[in-house]
Amino acid sequence: MRFIYLQHIPYRHLSEGFAARFPESVVTTPYFEVAEPTLVHADIRAGLDEAMHAARAGFDAVGLTEHGQSSYDMDPNPDLGAAALAYQIGAEDLNTGIYVVGRSLGKTREPLRVAEELAWLDHLSAGRLMTGFPVGLPYDANINAGVPPIETRARYDENLSFVLKAWTAREPFAWNGKYSQYMSVNVWPRPFQTPHPPVSVTGTGNPNTTRFALQRDFGFNLIVMGGPSSAAQRIFDGLWRTADELGVDDNPFRANFAQFVLVADTDREAERLYAEHVAYSATRGVGHIPMHRYTLPGGISPPGLRVLLANSQLADAHPSDPPSFRQLVESGAIVAGSVATVRERLADRARSYRVGNLLLLLQMGSMPTDLVKHNIDMFAGEVMPGLKDIWWEYEDANRWWPARLGGRPVSVTQTELAGVQLI
Amino acid sequence: MTTFATRTETVEAWGGRFNLRFQVAGSGPALVYLHGARGMYWDELLRGLSDRFTVYAPMFPGTDPADTMSIHQVDDIFDVVLAYEGALRALGLHGVPVIGPSFGGMLAAELAAGFPDLFSRVILLDPAGLWSESAPWTLDFFSAPPESVPGLLFKDPDAPGAQEMFAPPSPERALDVAVNTIWALGCVAKFLWPLPDRGLSKRLHRISAPTLILWGEDDALIPVHYAHEYGRLIPHSRVEVIPDCGHAAQAEKPDATATLVKEFLDG
Repeated sequence: MRFIYLQHIPYRHLSEGFAARFPESVVTTPYFEVAEPTLVHADIRAGLDEAMHAARAGFDAVGLTEHGQSSYDMDPNPDLGAAALAYQIGAEDLNTGIYVVGRSLGKTREPLRVAEELAWLDHLSAGRLMTGFPVGLPYDANINAGVPPIETRARYDENLSFVLKAWTAREPFAWNGKYSQYMSVNVWPRPFQTPHPPVSVTGTGNPNTTRFALQRDFGFNLIVMGGPSSAAQRIFDGLWRTADELGVDDNPFRANFAQFVLVADTDREAERLYAEHVAYSATRGVGHIPMHRYTLPGGISPPGLRVLLANSQLADAHPSDPPSFRQLVESGAIVAGSVATVRERLADRARSYRVGNLLLLLQMGSMPTDLVKHNIDMFAGEVMPGLKDIWWEYEDANRWWPARLGGRPVSVTQTELAGVQLI
Repeated sequence: MTTFATRTETVEAWGGRFNLRFQVAGSGPALVYLHGARGMYWDELLRGLSDRFTVYAPMFPGTDPADTMSIHQVDDIFDVVLAYEGALRALGLHGVPVIGPSFGGMLAAELAAGFPDLFSRVILLDPAGLWSESAPWTLDFFSAPPESVPGLLFKDPDAPGAQEMFAPPSPERALDVAVNTIWALGCVAKFLWPLPDRGLSKRLHRISAPTLILWGEDDALIPVHYAHEYGRLIPHSRVEVIPDCGHAAQAEKPDATATLVKEFLDG
C-alpha cells in the first residue's frame, strides 16, 4: 500500500449557530461576517504545517485539492500550497511525493497555465510531482467559474488532451480548441519527469470516468466525501469489471480511495477526541453543502439523470438531522477508533475495493493542529506499518508513482492523445 | 385535462446536423411559439390561440426526447439563430407573428433583430437576454431547490396555472418528466449561463416589426425593470405590465395575457 496524506484547508472557527443562519459552506458563505483575517492566516499556515508534519512522519506523499469560494477548503489553486510543500520537502530531502489531486480541468479557462504551473512544480520538486485532474464539482466549475454545466465535460476532455500535448510535444504547436486557442504552445520548462508526471483522474461514480481512466492507463481517485462504504464498493467493483472487459491489468495501484480517518488509543477515546470536530465538518464544513449544488441541469446527460433520479427516489432527500459520530462510523463515512479498529477497517477496504493507494484525510472540520498532528503520528507510527505489505507484490508494476520515489516510468498509453468521448 | 390534439412536423436544420421537430396545433394563419427553459408545454394561452391560429412550436435542440444530443450541434446564440431561421423558412414560416416567453422571448428577439423581415409581429413575455448593474439577476432558478421553484415563477404559487404546471405527473410518467425538464433547463442554460447577456441589447434596434413587451409586475426572476429596457431599445414597441403577477405571466394570469396578446395580434 501507498499512503497519501490529503490536506483540506478549512476555516476552523465558524460559530455553532452557523448552520442555522447560513445554508451552505460554499458559494454564498458570508466572509466579513464570519471570518477573521488573522485566523484565516493561521488556518492556511496550519494546513501546510500539518502536511509537512505528515511528510516527516513517513507518508509516501502529501496531497492538496482545489475548491474555490468555499470555507471548508480554502484552496482555490492547489499549486500554490504545493509550491510551498515542494520547496520544503526538497530542502529537507524527504522522499515524499507531492500530489496535486485536483486541478479541475472542467473548470479552467486557461489550460496552458495549468500545464505550465505543474511542469514548474515538477522541476521545483525534482520529479516528486503527481498530478490529478478532476472534472470539477458543479458548484465550483459552474457556479464559481461560470462554465455552463452542459459544457463541463467537453471542456475537461479538451483541456486534458491539451495539457498532455503541451507537456510532451517536441516542437511548438498551434492549438485550435473549441474552448481555447493558442498561437504557439511551447511550455517552458516541460516537466522534469519523462514523459510527464503520473496522471490520475477523479470520479464520484460515473462509469464513464472509470472506463476512461482504464483506457488511458491513468490512476483513478474515488473521492466521495462522507459517503457510505457500500457505494464505494459498487464503484470499485465496476472499475475492476470494466478492467476485465477491456483486457487491462488489475494492478491495485491504479486505484486511490479517499477516506477520513481518526485514530486514538481506544474507540471511546476517538469519539471523545474527535466527535465535536466531526460534527463541525457535518454542519459547518463539507457536510454543509446542499444537494442542489452538486446537481446542476445539463451537467448530467439524460441516461445518467435517469439512473440518478431512479436511485434517489429510494433515498431520503431531506435528512432532518446531521448524522452523529457513531452513525458516520457505522456507515463507513469515517473510519475512527483505536489503532486495531482503524487498521482492520482499512485493511478490509483496501482488499475488498482492491485499492493500492489510500488518500487519507486526517484533519476534519475544526480540528486544531495539535490534534491533527497527534492523529498523523498515531496513523504513521501505529497503523501504517500493519498495512504497508498489502498489495506489495504489485509494486513492481506500479506506474502511477514518480520514478524517483520507486514508481515505474509512465506507460505510453497515458500520453496517447486519441480523444476518448466522455459524455 | 381534456386531450388536446397536436401533431409534429420535422425539418432538417443547420446544414443537416440535426432535425428540428415542431409541435403543431390548431388551424388558421400560422403563428410561431418559442418555448421557455422548461421545454414545450401547451398551456391555457396556447390552447386558446390554437382556436384562431396554427401554432408552430419548435422544440429547442436537445429538448426533443427523441434526440437529446442535438444540443451539442449548436455552440452559441448565433448558431441557434441561423439554425432556426433556416428551419422556419423551410416550413414557409416568415412574415408571421411570434410569441416567446422567458428564454423563448430572448430567442424571438434575437431572430427578429437578426432577420427583421422574419416576423410580422413580436410578442415577448418576461424575456431573458438583458442584464444591467442596476437590476442584477442570475440563473438562481436553475440551481434552486425544487420546492422553491413555484415561488420563483409565480407571484402566487397557489394560482391555478401554478397548480397545473407543478401537478405531480402519473407515477409511470414521473421519471420521464423529471429527466426531460432537467435536461431542457441544461440545454437552454448553455445560452444563458452564467449571466443571460449575449449582447442582445446592441442588436434590438434592428427589430422593425411591431413589438409587444408584456411583463409580470412582480417577476421574481427577471425584474420588471427590463420591461422598460426592452421598450426603450426596440423601436416600435409597447410595454404592458400585468399587476400582481410573477414571471410565468401566461400561466399565472392567462386571461389578462390572452386579452393583451389577442388585441395586439388583431391591431
